[in-house]
Amino acid sequence: MTSQAALLRIENLSVSYQFGNRWMEAVHDFRLAIQSGQVYGLVGESGSGKSTVASAVMRYVPHNGRIERGSVVNFQGVNLVEKSLREMQQIWAHDLTLVPQNPGAALNPSIRIGEQLAELMRLQRRLPESVVQERVLESLHRVNLPDPRAILTRYPHQLSGGQQQRVMIAMALIPSPQMLILDEPTTNLDVTTEATILDLIETLIRSEGTGALYITHNLGVVAQLCDRAAVMYAGEILEDAEINDLFAGPLHPYTIGLLNSIPRAGQTKRERPLATIPGKPPLLQERPNACVFSDRCPLVIDICRTEKPPLESSGENRLVRCHRWREIEAGNVDAVYPTEIESDVAELAHREILLQAHNLSKTFNSQSTLFNVLGGKVSPPTHAVEDVTLSILKGRTYGLVGESGSGKTTLARMIIGLTEPTSGEIALMGIDLQGDVRQRSREVLAQLQMIFQNPQMSLNPYLTVGEAIRRPLIKLAQLTYTQAEAEARRLLKAVNLREEYVDRYPSELSGGEKQRVAIARAFASNPALIVCDEPVSALDVSVQSAVLNLLVQLQEERNAAYLFISHDLAVVGYLADYVAVMYLGELFEVGYARDLFSPPLHPYTEALISAIPVPDPAIRTDRIHLSGEIPSPAHKPTGCAFHTRCPHKLGQICEVESPPWQHHGNEHHIRCHRTPEELAQIQAYLLNKAKA
Amino acid sequence: MAAIDPPLPVANSPRRIQRLTSLRRFATEFFRSPQTAIGTLIVIFFLLLAIFGPAFAPYKANDQNHPVSHQPSAEYPMGTDYLGRDVYSRVILGARSILVTAGAGTLIAVVLGTFLGLAVGYQGGLVDEIIGRFIDAFLALPALLIALVILGVLRNLNPPPGSWQAVLSDRSVLVVIAIVYIPLVARVVRSSTLDVKTREFIWAAQIRGETWLYILFREILPSVAPALVVEASLRFSYAIFLVASLGFLGVGARPPSPDWGLMVNENRGGIYALSPWALNYPALAIAVLVVGVNIMSDGIKRIVQRG
Repeated sequence: MTSQAALLRIENLSVSYQFGNRWMEAVHDFRLAIQSGQVYGLVGESGSGKSTVASAVMRYVPHNGRIERGSVVNFQGVNLVEKSLREMQQIWAHDLTLVPQNPGAALNPSIRIGEQLAELMRLQRRLPESVVQERVLESLHRVNLPDPRAILTRYPHQLSGGQQQRVMIAMALIPSPQMLILDEPTTNLDVTTEATILDLIETLIRSEGTGALYITHNLGVVAQLCDRAAVMYAGEILEDAEINDLFAGPLHPYTIGLLNSIPRAGQTKRERPLATIPGKPPLLQERPNACVFSDRCPLVIDICRTEKPPLESSGENRLVRCHRWREIEAGNVDAVYPTEIESDVAELAHREILLQAHNLSKTFNSQSTLFNVLGGKVSPPTHAVEDVTLSILKGRTYGLVGESGSGKTTLARMIIGLTEPTSGEIALMGIDLQGDVRQRSREVLAQLQMIFQNPQMSLNPYLTVGEAIRRPLIKLAQLTYTQAEAEARRLLKAVNLREEYVDRYPSELSGGEKQRVAIARAFASNPALIVCDEPVSALDVSVQSAVLNLLVQLQEERNAAYLFISHDLAVVGYLADYVAVMYLGELFEVGYARDLFSPPLHPYTEALISAIPVPDPAIRTDRIHLSGEIPSPAHKPTGCAFHTRCPHKLGQICEVESPPWQHHGNEHHIRCHRTPEELAQIQAYLLNKAKA
Repeated sequence: MAAIDPPLPVANSPRRIQRLTSLRRFATEFFRSPQTAIGTLIVIFFLLLAIFGPAFAPYKANDQNHPVSHQPSAEYPMGTDYLGRDVYSRVILGARSILVTAGAGTLIAVVLGTFLGLAVGYQGGLVDEIIGRFIDAFLALPALLIALVILGVLRNLNPPPGSWQAVLSDRSVLVVIAIVYIPLVARVVRSSTLDVKTREFIWAAQIRGETWLYILFREILPSVAPALVVEASLRFSYAIFLVASLGFLGVGARPPSPDWGLMVNENRGGIYALSPWALNYPALAIAVLVVGVNIMSDGIKRIVQRG
C-alpha cells in the first residue's frame, strides 16, 4: 500500500464499547489509506463495525465507546485521534464532512432548508448576506435539485427522501472538503433514486478531486462507484484490494461467498441457485480470538480456530486476512458454499389457477377527521391501485415489482383481506372471496398467509417463538395443544432453526432468524398462497440468500404459491416464475421472469433494470435516468401514468390516452403506446451503442 | 444448514438467566437511588398499618372516654382532640380507609381505562375521534371540580338501604376516583395502542382471524404494559391526595370516621389553638404518604422508561 501523501491513513485503529463493566472491541486493528481523488469502499454487514470506523474518523464515537491507545487516524498529516473537540470543529467545518445514512434525522425539522445551508456557509467565511444566499442557491443547483429557489423555503419534511439526501450532499460539499465520508447514503432510497444519487456522487467527487470513504453493504454499489474496497467482517478487515482484483479474483472465502450470494439481474433459481453462507456473524461478546469467520467458512482447518490470521500482503497493493489465501490464489482449493436448494426445480408447466384478481381497484379518500367532516373539506381521492388483473398459479411464484408508492403493498393487503377493495373481485380456486378478512371463513384464512418486510415488527416481542407458531396451528389448523407443540418443532426444523427456539423470545434472535420464524408461522396453517411483502429487504446480504433459498425449498416441499413483492428486480427475477411490473397503482408489463430481462421492453422495466447496481466493475453501465421523482398517487399524471418520466415518450398521445395492453408472445404483455417490436428495436439499438 | 451450532450447556438457560438477571437488575436498579428505597419503605410502612392497624391502635377510633384536648403524652402519643378521642389511634386506623379507597379507585380506573384506551385506539376512525374529543374535554376540567359535582349527585340519591345505589353512595369517593381517572388512563393506553397497532404482528393476528378481544389483550396489552404501570403508580399517588382533599372539604368520608382529611378539617379554625396536634399529625400522615408514593412511582418510571 502506498503511504506517500495519503490523504487519510488509518493505522492500527481499534475501537471498543462498554457494556456493563466490560469493554468489547468492535473494531480491531483496522488499516486503510485513501489518496486524493480516490473513492474507497468499505463493505460489511450490519454489526461489522464499518460505521464505527466512520465515527472514529469523524471522532463521533458515542459516550460508551473509546478509541484505543496507539490508534492512528492520520488526516493530511495530523493525527485526528489526539485532537480536541474544538480543533475537530475546525476540521469538520473545512476539510472533512460526512453524509449520513438517514437524512431525515440529520436535518433539523424546524428550520427551512435555505437557512440550514446558509448557517454552514456563514461558518466558512465572513460573507455579505447576499453572497451567502447566492452560494446557497448555487449549492442546490450543483446537486441537481429541481427548482432550488422553492426548496430553499421548504422544511425537511416537505422533501422526498431522495431530495433530502441531495440536500445533505450539498451541505457536505459546501466547505469544498478534502475528504468526504458517506455512510450508506442510498440505503433507504428506491433503486431508481439510488441510481441518480450514485451518479451525482460520482460526478461531484470526480470533478472536485475529493477523497471519499464510501460505506455500504451493497457490493453492486461498490463495484459501480469505488476504485478500491475493503471487506469488513466482525470488526476486522478480511480483504482489501483494487476494485477489479476484488471482484475478478477474490481471495477471502467470505468475499467469495458474498459475491455468489447476491442475485444478478436475470439470474433465476432454475439456472443458478444462490450460494448461502451458513450461520450468522459472531456477537460482539463472542468474537473468537482466532479467525472471526472460521465458524462459517467452508475452508476452515484447525489453525483457523486457534490462531488469528495476520493481514498479509498477497501481492502488490493487496491485503488479505486468511490462513489459506495462497491455496485459494493458486486454485488448489475452492470455497464452495451450499446452495440449499436440493430438489430439482420443476419445469414451468402450466398449472391450475389458484387465485384470480379481476379489475381490482382501491381508492383512498382523504383522512376523514372530525374537522374535515364537519368543515365539509374534501380533498381529491387517491387511486392507490387501479384496475389490476392477475392470476396466480398453484405452487408458483408471482413476482410484483415497483418503487415505493407504486401500490404494491395495498394490492397485497387487498388480496390478504386487510384492505377492502373499492371495486373488483378476488376469487380463490374459483370461489369469490369477501373483501374483509373478518368475513372470511376459517378455511379461507388458512389458505392465505403473509410474510412481512420487517422481522423486528412481525413478531410480537412479548410472545415466545413457540407461542407465535402454535397459535395459527391451533386456531387455523385446529390442532390440539400437544399436536401444535410437536408441529411447531417440526416447522422450526423445516426453516433450519433448532427446536429449542420454541422457548425463545424474538429479542433473542437475529434478524434472519426472526424472518425464519415468521416464515414458519406463515406455513403453519399449510396455506395455498403466501403473500411475501419484501421479505428479504431488511436482511443482511449473507442472510438474504439463505432466506430466499429457504422460500424456494419450502415451496417445492409444500406446494405453496407465492405473491412475492419487492422493489428489487434482481431478487424478484431470481425467485419468481411470472413477474408483474407496477407503477403508480397500475400494471405496465407482465411476463415470465426470463422474458422480462432479455432485453427489457417496457421503458419503466428498462429503467428499473438499469438502475440495479451490477456487482461487477467490468460492467459499468450508463444508467437510464428517470427524471424527477415518482409522482404522488394523489396527483397521478393523465394518460399513461409513466409519461412524465419516460425516456422513450412517443408524443402527445402518452399524455392524454391510457396505453393499451399489447401481446408479445408467451403470455408477455406490455402496456405502452409504442408497439413491442418498436421497443425491441430501441433496445437493440441501445445495446449496439453500448457495445460500440 | 450445514454448520452445526455449538451445543449450549443447558437448553433454554440463556433465557432463564436473562429473565432472572433482569428481575434482579430491576430490583438493584430500583433501590440504587436512596430516594426510591425510602419512598418504597414509606409505602410499605403504611400498607402494614392499613393491614395490621387495629392490632396496634390502643383505643377505638370513636372512643371518647378520654380527657378533651389533652396534649401528647406517654398515654396519648399524639394527644387527644376536642371530643376526647385519641389522635394516635385515629391516625393508625385512618390508614386503611385512605389506602383502600385510593387503591381500589385507581384499580377500577386502570382496568376500565385500559379497556377503553385499547378499544378506542385499536378501533380508530370516527369512534376514536369522538371519544377522544370527549376525553380531551373531560381533561380540561379540574379533577376536584368533577369530583365535587359527582359527589353531589351521588349524595342526593337518598337510595333505599340495601339497594345498589346505596352501595354506590357509600363508596362514593371510590367511585369518583374511578370516574375521574378513567379518561386519564385511557388516554395513555390509547396513545401506546396507536403505535403498537401499526406493527406487522397485529396484521398477522388479523390474517389469522383472531377476535377483537384476543388482539387487544393478548397482542397489544403486553406492549402497552410498561406505560400503564407508570401511569397507574402516578394515578395512585394523586388518588391519595384526592381522597384527603375530599375528606377535608367535607364531601368525602362522613364524621365520625377517622379519615385524615376529615380530621384536618374538624380540627382547624378556633379549635386549632386548643389542640394543634389533632390537626398536625393527620396532616403529616397525608404528606408523608403522598411524598412516599410519589418518590416510589418516580423510581418505577425511571426503570420502565429506560428498559
